[in-house]
Amino acid sequence: MKLLKKSLSVLVAVATLITLVGCGGNKDTSTGEKVFVFGQSNPKVGLDMQTNTNAGASSVADNVLEGLYRWNDDNKEEPVLATDFPEVSEDGLTYTFELKSGVKFSNGADLTSADVKYTFERMFKPETGCANTYMYEMIVGAKDMLNGKASELKGFKIIDDLHFTITLEYKFAPFIANLGMDYGSIYPREACEAAGKDWGKGTNLIGTGPYVIVENDDLTKVVFEPNKNWHNGTPNLDRLEIRYFDDSNTKMMEYEQGNIDMCDLSTTLLDQYQNHETIKNEITQITPLGTYFLSLKVNDPALNNPKVREAISLAINRDEFCKTVLNGAGEPASSFLNPGVPGHDEKLETYEYNVEKAKSLLKEAGVTNPTFTAEVRSGDEKIATALQAYLKEAGITMNVETIDSGLWAEKRSAGNLQATVIGWFPLYADADNQMYTYYFSENAAGKSVFYNNPEFDKLMTEARQTVDDDAKRVELYKQADYILSRQDYATIPLYYGKLQFVSKPYVKNAKLGNLIYHLYDIDIDLDAKNAK
Amino acid sequence: MGSYLVKRVLQAIGVILCISIITFFVLNIVPGNPVRIMLGEFADEATIARVTAEMGLDQPIIVQYFNWLKNMLMGDFGVSYFQNKPVLDILVTSFLITAKLAGIAYLLSIVLGVVVGVVAAVNRGKWIDSFLMTLSVFGISAPSFWIAIILQIFICLKLNLLPLSGISSVSSFILPGIALGTRYAASVARITRTSMLEVLSQDYIRTAQAKGLKKWAVIIKHAFRNALIPVITIAGSELGSILTGSVLIESIFQIPGIGKMLVDSINTRDLPIVQGGVMYIAVICVIMYLVVDILYTFVDPRITLGKESES
Repeated sequence: MKLLKKSLSVLVAVATLITLVGCGGNKDTSTGEKVFVFGQSNPKVGLDMQTNTNAGASSVADNVLEGLYRWNDDNKEEPVLATDFPEVSEDGLTYTFELKSGVKFSNGADLTSADVKYTFERMFKPETGCANTYMYEMIVGAKDMLNGKASELKGFKIIDDLHFTITLEYKFAPFIANLGMDYGSIYPREACEAAGKDWGKGTNLIGTGPYVIVENDDLTKVVFEPNKNWHNGTPNLDRLEIRYFDDSNTKMMEYEQGNIDMCDLSTTLLDQYQNHETIKNEITQITPLGTYFLSLKVNDPALNNPKVREAISLAINRDEFCKTVLNGAGEPASSFLNPGVPGHDEKLETYEYNVEKAKSLLKEAGVTNPTFTAEVRSGDEKIATALQAYLKEAGITMNVETIDSGLWAEKRSAGNLQATVIGWFPLYADADNQMYTYYFSENAAGKSVFYNNPEFDKLMTEARQTVDDDAKRVELYKQADYILSRQDYATIPLYYGKLQFVSKPYVKNAKLGNLIYHLYDIDIDLDAKNAK
Repeated sequence: MGSYLVKRVLQAIGVILCISIITFFVLNIVPGNPVRIMLGEFADEATIARVTAEMGLDQPIIVQYFNWLKNMLMGDFGVSYFQNKPVLDILVTSFLITAKLAGIAYLLSIVLGVVVGVVAAVNRGKWIDSFLMTLSVFGISAPSFWIAIILQIFICLKLNLLPLSGISSVSSFILPGIALGTRYAASVARITRTSMLEVLSQDYIRTAQAKGLKKWAVIIKHAFRNALIPVITIAGSELGSILTGSVLIESIFQIPGIGKMLVDSINTRDLPIVQGGVMYIAVICVIMYLVVDILYTFVDPRITLGKESES
């Protein structure tokens, strides 16, 4: 009895301690302030957008930094710090830009052409360790800087504080599109130089964007407040907080509890939350710009016959696959280019599913029981095993091996993957970014596909050089996509994957265009929030 | 005592040196180019080659090892490939966070484990003994991540008593501490019970009882102290394990501790962090075992450090 009493007193003491230490996780935040909390995984790469390629880092830095242009949630490029799209010289090499007047960085410094020049020169200085130079190294003098032969960017000329020109070594149509990436965000010279190696860490990030970082431990959260110098007026929110969660279950529990207002919803949890009483109504699903496909080494003896590759395509029931394996989180593919990318041919229908035709094609090709191995990362295992079952029906054996992502990347770059499953997402809505980067002959070896069709390469090159005729460029991509995915069957597009996020009903303007969450338009309906 | 300590420290240095060699070379022969992972899918070969050279990864591996060892001896563990921060800063930050979690988990495991073990031993064969030992089997068998999720659902989601995740306050560490410490508490409880039962059957305990000493005075003063040796052994090794972090608990509760940081770094091939982290764990473990050995002498004067091999 005494023991029981003692145990009870211990329990009471523990309960009191819990109460004293900090009762509850869900704090009542119903104030007159517009506070928005977004949940995402921690990019762990800092926020200097010149030294990383991480979409998560972009979603954070995007609230502080702005570039000359940006890709919005409708996947359209729009001017931000530039007044308009640049004038292009007749030879298609020189671009003349005009900056908006009166733009200030959040520290009060004026934005001038010198800041833009500094930003690009910093990018090409070897000591910066820039990860994105390949997007801009066609600027005259960029390679000399990268090789340490020059300290100034020859192709960048300042006309005055608001005007400058950039000259390229060769015609490159996607140049303006590349400027719309966060990698081209403009930094204030003085502040950036003063921060040195600490730029992008903690609160050391200053831009012309709507918010400023007031708190950042680089580990758990970043807190933003409005930039009082913002050139577009007053930002919607009084406080923006991005909290980091690497575990998607925990993130969703925090959302359920009301501690975060919006976050992405992993496809693996989609089924669970589609049946949730309230959250099912808070899910928004979008189709970003990528394509999931079976990537084949087309010069491999087992896969070098286009008829065999077509048979592989015919054996896959994409409609059923999307409904069952993906729980609807994907649309059956009709070509390599995603429907959101100019150049995708809308007239093309979903790839045919016909097992008998697949078998007869194999017979025609004189191949019996073709066998190959797909080495995939753990996240793609489910997809690969489903494909394996489809192919088996047509007499095609696809062995599936799951390997570590580091090993996978190594084998792929060495050209040693016979097949794999991958989702390839362009950074913005441009066919060059989706197709040239993977299937142009110079890039194809590094992707373990070894596709080399001079006709395809010619079309891709011509499209790159078509600077002043968008319609013609789109037509060239349409032709190239057809050759790649319908004539040569060099790729086996499977589906256009969907992404989903959840947001509380009081969150306004919650959108996602491609892979980066832009939060600058987010607003809070305080009446709805407080009523709740 | 002095010569023993010197011998032990030299042994420890040897062990750490061996671990440094194994760690460095094994990690560097594991396939997976960190630069390629760091630069992402779109980077071209020229950029990859340039950044590889900038990071000094194009040098022979033996040169890289000696550079790393030399710098490490001077307190420079290198710079993280991805975070672009000194590894030592990252390790210290993660360690301090893990230490908070470990502190709670350890306190729970020792206090609860010892109390439960003693109570069970004293009440041997009674219902409370059976109940506590069944509970301890459950504690050992239940995976910590399962306990973590159950705690999150009931304590946080249903009752809203404690934070679900994060490290914003001391209360954030209570649930992860319980989830992490339960298993260790159960082990300590079982070891304590066994050890106490052994001691309680000794003649000197009967003598103490015959002298008319109070029951709890006998238990605490005579039995408990002598039952502590195996408990200290397990407590020492447990502290080593807890301090090196728990990947699952840290992931579930979003605690940026050392375990989670190491696994993330292995996945991204952030070798300076992995190498530094492994060295840190090696040092912690070596120190813990050294401390345990020294503690023995305080608990049991029959054990003398200089004559360890004879005893």
